Amino acid sequence: MTLALFAAFAALLVGCSLMVILHRNPVASALFLVLAFCSLAGLYLLLHAEFVAMVQVIVYAGAIMVLFLFVIMYLNLRHDVEQGIAVAVRRGAGWILGILLLAETVAFFKGRWAEGPVSAPDLAPVAGNTQAIGQVLYTRYLFPFEITSVLLLVAMVGAVVIAKGRGPGLHPAAPAADAAADAKAAAPDHAGGEA
Amino acid sequence: MTEYVPVLLFLLVAIGFAGGTIGLSSLIVPRRRNAVKNSSYECGVEPVGDALQRFTVKFYLVAVLFILFDIEAVFLYPWAVTFRRLGLYGLIEMALFIVILFVGYVYLLRKRALEWD
Amino acid sequence: MMHDIPLAWMLALSATVFVIGVVGVLVRRNALVIFMSIELMLNAGNLAFVAFSRALGSLDGQVFVFFVMTVAAAEVAVGLAIIVNVFRLKETIYVDEINLLKG
Repeated sequence: MTLALFAAFAALLVGCSLMVILHRNPVASALFLVLAFCSLAGLYLLLHAEFVAMVQVIVYAGAIMVLFLFVIMYLNLRHDVEQGIAVAVRRGAGWILGILLLAETVAFFKGRWAEGPVSAPDLAPVAGNTQAIGQVLYTRYLFPFEITSVLLLVAMVGAVVIAKGRGPGLHPAAPAADAAADAKAAAPDHAGGEA
Repeated sequence: MTEYVPVLLFLLVAIGFAGGTIGLSSLIVPRRRNAVKNSSYECGVEPVGDALQRFTVKFYLVAVLFILFDIEAVFLYPWAVTFRRLGLYGLIEMALFIVILFVGYVYLLRKRALEWD
Repeated sequence: MMHDIPLAWMLALSATVFVIGVVGVLVRRNALVIFMSIELMLNAGNLAFVAFSRALGSLDGQVFVFFVMTVAAAEVAVGLAIIVNVFRLKETIYVDEINLLKG
C-alpha cells in the first residue's frame, strides 16, 4: 500500500515537473507546478511529516503559485517563442548537462547507497507532529526563527519599493493625489497595450 | 497509514458523489437542443473578449503581502500548540517575531501600499 | 504497521526533481519558468530534508523545511517584483534579450 502510494506520488511528481519545464504556455506550467507541489505534500504524508505537508499545500500551492499566476496574468504571456539556432543549441546543451548531472548523482549514490535505518526510530512522542516541531523550532532553532522575521521584513520592504517605487507616500509632504497620479500614469501604458 | 483511511473514504465518497451525480444526470437527461438554448445566456449580454486579460499590477502587491503574512501565520501554528510548554519564554520570542513584522506593517501603512487607488 | 519507503528511493526522487529543475533553468528563456524551476529545486531539497528527518528520527530536517520555505517566499516576492519591473522597461522577460549589463 505504502509502496503503491509512493510510486503514484513519485510518478505524478516527476511527470508534472517535466511538464513544468516542457510546456510552452506559462499558465500551464504554473498549474503543473501546483500539481507537483500537491504530490510532494502526499510524499510528506508518507514520511509522517503531516505539518510540513499541510504547510506545503498552504504556502506553496496556495500562496506562492497564486503570486506566479498574478504575474503571468499581469504580463499577459501567451505561448513562448522558442526557435532559432542559438535556442536549439542551448536546449541541447542543457539537456545533456542535466542528464550528466543525474548520472553523476546516481553514480555517487551507487557507491554508498544510503540504506538508512531499517525501521525508523519513532518520532513525536508528544501529542503530534505539529507540537513536536514547535518544541524543536522554539527552543533549539530560536535564533534562526527570529532571523526569519527580519528576512520577511526585508522581503516586504523590498517588494514594496520595487513595485511602487520609492517616491510618494512615505513623506507627509507628498499628497495622496500624487501617488494616485503616479499609479495612473504607470497603469495605462501597460493596461493599454493589450495584446 | 490506518489513520488516513477515513480521509481516503471521504475523498472517495466526495468524488463518487460529484462524478456519480453528473454522470447519472447526463445519462438520463432529455436533450432538446435549439439555438436559444445553446446561446451562452438566454437573456443578458453576450460575453465580450477573452478571459485571459491583463490584470493590473496592484494585485501583485496584495499577493506578495499575502504570502509574507501567510508565512508568519505558518510559524504561529506550532507556537500555538506548544505554548503551554514554552511558557513566558515562548511568549517573549513570539512577541519579538511579531514586533519585527509589525514594523513592516507600519511601513506598508505609511507607504500607502495597501490602498487601492 | 506499515513499512517505510527506503531512504535511497526518496533521495533518488529528490535528485531527479532537482535535475529537472536544473535543466529547466538551463533550457528555458522565459524568466518566469526559470523561477518555477528554481522552486522545483528548492522543493527537491525539502524532500531530501524530510526524508533524512524520517530516517534519522530527528525533527531538525522538518524545521529546516520551514526556513527553506521562508527563503523561497522572500525570494519569490522580490524576484517577481524585479521581473515585473524588467518587463515594464524592456517589454520582454526572455532572459537572453535582457542584456543591458553586457559590456
